[in-house]
Amino acid sequence: MSPAGLSALLPLTVAIPLAGAAMAPLLGRISGRLPVITSILSLAASTAILLAMASTVYGGEQVTHYMGHWIPVGGQALGVAFSADAWGLTFALVASGIGVLLLLFTLSDQSDLGARELGSFACLFLLLDAALIGVALTGDVINLFVWFEVAALASYALTAFFVERPFALEAAFKILVLTNIAGFAVFLGASLLYANHGGLNFGQLGLAVREHPETVDLIALALLVAGFATKTGLVPFHGWLPDAHTAAPGPVSALFSGLMVNLGIVTIGRLVFQVFLPGTSGPILGLLMVFGLLSAVGGAVFALFQDDLKRLLAYDTISQMGVLAVGLASGTVSGVAGTSYHLVNQALFKSLLFLCAGAVVHATGATQLSEMGGLARRFPALAAGFVVGVIAIAGVPPLNGYVSVGLIHDALRESGQPLPLLLLVVAQTLTIAALGRATWHAFFGAAPEGDYPRDEQLRPGMVVALVGLMGACVGFGVLPTAMLDHVVAPAAGGLLAGAQYGRNLLAGGGALPLAHVHFHYLSVFELATVLATLVAAVPVARWADRVLDAGSGGVGAGGAGGAGAGGVGAGGVGAGGAGGAGAGGVGAGGVGAGVLRALRAVQTGSVNDYAAYLVLGLIVMVAALTLG
Amino acid sequence: MIVGNYLAGVALFCIGLYAVLTKRNLIKIVMGLSLMEASTYLLLLSFAYRAHSTAPVLLNPPNGQSAEQLAKGQVADPVLQNICLTAIVIGVAVTGVSLAVIVRIAQHYRTLDSDRVRAMRG
Repeated sequence: MSPAGLSALLPLTVAIPLAGAAMAPLLGRISGRLPVITSILSLAASTAILLAMASTVYGGEQVTHYMGHWIPVGGQALGVAFSADAWGLTFALVASGIGVLLLLFTLSDQSDLGARELGSFACLFLLLDAALIGVALTGDVINLFVWFEVAALASYALTAFFVERPFALEAAFKILVLTNIAGFAVFLGASLLYANHGGLNFGQLGLAVREHPETVDLIALALLVAGFATKTGLVPFHGWLPDAHTAAPGPVSALFSGLMVNLGIVTIGRLVFQVFLPGTSGPILGLLMVFGLLSAVGGAVFALFQDDLKRLLAYDTISQMGVLAVGLASGTVSGVAGTSYHLVNQALFKSLLFLCAGAVVHATGATQLSEMGGLARRFPALAAGFVVGVIAIAGVPPLNGYVSVGLIHDALRESGQPLPLLLLVVAQTLTIAALGRATWHAFFGAAPEGDYPRDEQLRPGMVVALVGLMGACVGFGVLPTAMLDHVVAPAAGGLLAGAQYGRNLLAGGGALPLAHVHFHYLSVFELATVLATLVAAVPVARWADRVLDAGSGGVGAGGAGGAGAGGVGAGGVGAGGAGGAGAGGVGAGGVGAGVLRALRAVQTGSVNDYAAYLVLGLIVMVAALTLG
Repeated sequence: MIVGNYLAGVALFCIGLYAVLTKRNLIKIVMGLSLMEASTYLLLLSFAYRAHSTAPVLLNPPNGQSAEQLAKGQVADPVLQNICLTAIVIGVAVTGVSLAVIVRIAQHYRTLDSDRVRAMRG
């Protein structure tokens, strides 16, 4: 089909899921399966439309559509532009395609929910997924804000989906407050840009701010990046993330972790490279590098000392987001290529891990690693899925994580930044240790005494989703050249050719350059790094085990004794935590217990504290960009 | 005069932020968020201000001006006002959801103290 014909289809990719979202609660009155099946079909339709564009867009063409046919006149765009470049299309495809798999999983996993609940679940799921596709394709800064808020509203409701569980409400309130503040930042940033330049279109704004951004523009950039960094969960904007992932149902955690948090990275990439120019907009790449490394290492440390399985995976998501930000921050072809590759990989393996973890929690009723054990014999399919996901994150060839992390390492070596490279390798080691520990305790370690609270078997839809994600993890790793040449090269090329993207956005389409991405698959450095991280991870994991054992009672959501009476219902656990941590100081060496105490002291659980971290990050961002 | 608007906007924003960062009552936190939100509206409407201009309504222009004259820039910026309306609608929805969550929290925890609603940490 011609690019003109394709561009007319672009709005449908969000319109169909939105229509499905409107239908779902009504269909839920008839039957429980109907809304889920409808949403699978509507997301499949979006995926099909996006796939129809794939060959054109990955061939280096940018497909653009103006809503209501408000074509720009004299470089002034009045209507909202929707535009598929390879960078956005990749994320839109991932969001819609994995969305289908997650809903398929839901179809059999959540069948004990009532029909009305499934109706509202399908509605919220589709709203969030439509917002992700919208963020990926929009070329208009206020439209971006609207999709941000659509995603935010849907995520609040999905977090609080199990309203009968108190901790779901607690998590919902935290995500609400933090994302709301982030929303103000995005809103103010977007309107500052408009007020200063009279344009909303990325192309128009790019012409105004790329070469000589004024101070106001840099403040706007800082606000926008901080807002989307909150959505991504970069440290110190991350307070909401672990709680929301723990509280939500399994497929929703997968949707959050695999897809929703990525929207922040996608947008930050677009704003920094395609609207602004990294070279002229102050130390933006340095800031991304600092926040990225902080998240990569911090998230991994938190994951290492975590006993709650889903919470552990959530902290690992923070770490992976840090890796993605570091790739962008390198500003080189390899780094950006690595980020776009890792974006796909992270969506695949994190969805896979969260689906497995959700299924384990759902089938056994156990949430803490210390309550689990020997699950590999009972659920071989779940164990296989989890192990594949962990190996992929660990970056072991031939799975997909190896190539994407390797590209980011290459970027740091090329640009001569040994310290970030070292920190990334440390984060990688900690990640492997944390996930290896989780795999061992949940699936292979000694089973706990007595029966699990529940005992259920896997259903066909769940198996299909797991096998699909596992296949993709292996496939994208085994065939790296196809992925590199046909997906990653155009995505990185288009992102780095920001001026051309902007011109195309105003001209109704055009060509984008392809990047030359080269990855030496059997590089001695990469293979040695993988081997070293794997070997180093073993003692780290055992050390974490000793520290957690010594402080047993202080693990999990209960945390440190904290100030005052502690949470209702968690007061007893909290008091135990304080005592346990004290004993750990004697038992497993002061260092471990000290680390544990420090971690608990940072992640206080108080929404005021998390908001303060966010505001601190925001102030640092604004100050660095305006003064730097 | 418009400087006063900006100052008021910034002051409102800071008061709201102060409430979010220091108040432990969940309803006061949401009130703080609403104040911050209101301050962004005030800032936006101030961005839209043009000296000696009228409202962006082109029907029956005042002072003997023609609609063409108004369209050439003698009006406050309608786009920012539009964006503001969109944000107000979104803000109402968000406030609604937060208050609904607070009602549920109050039912389950029997408290509105954010320090007692922190079972998840570490």
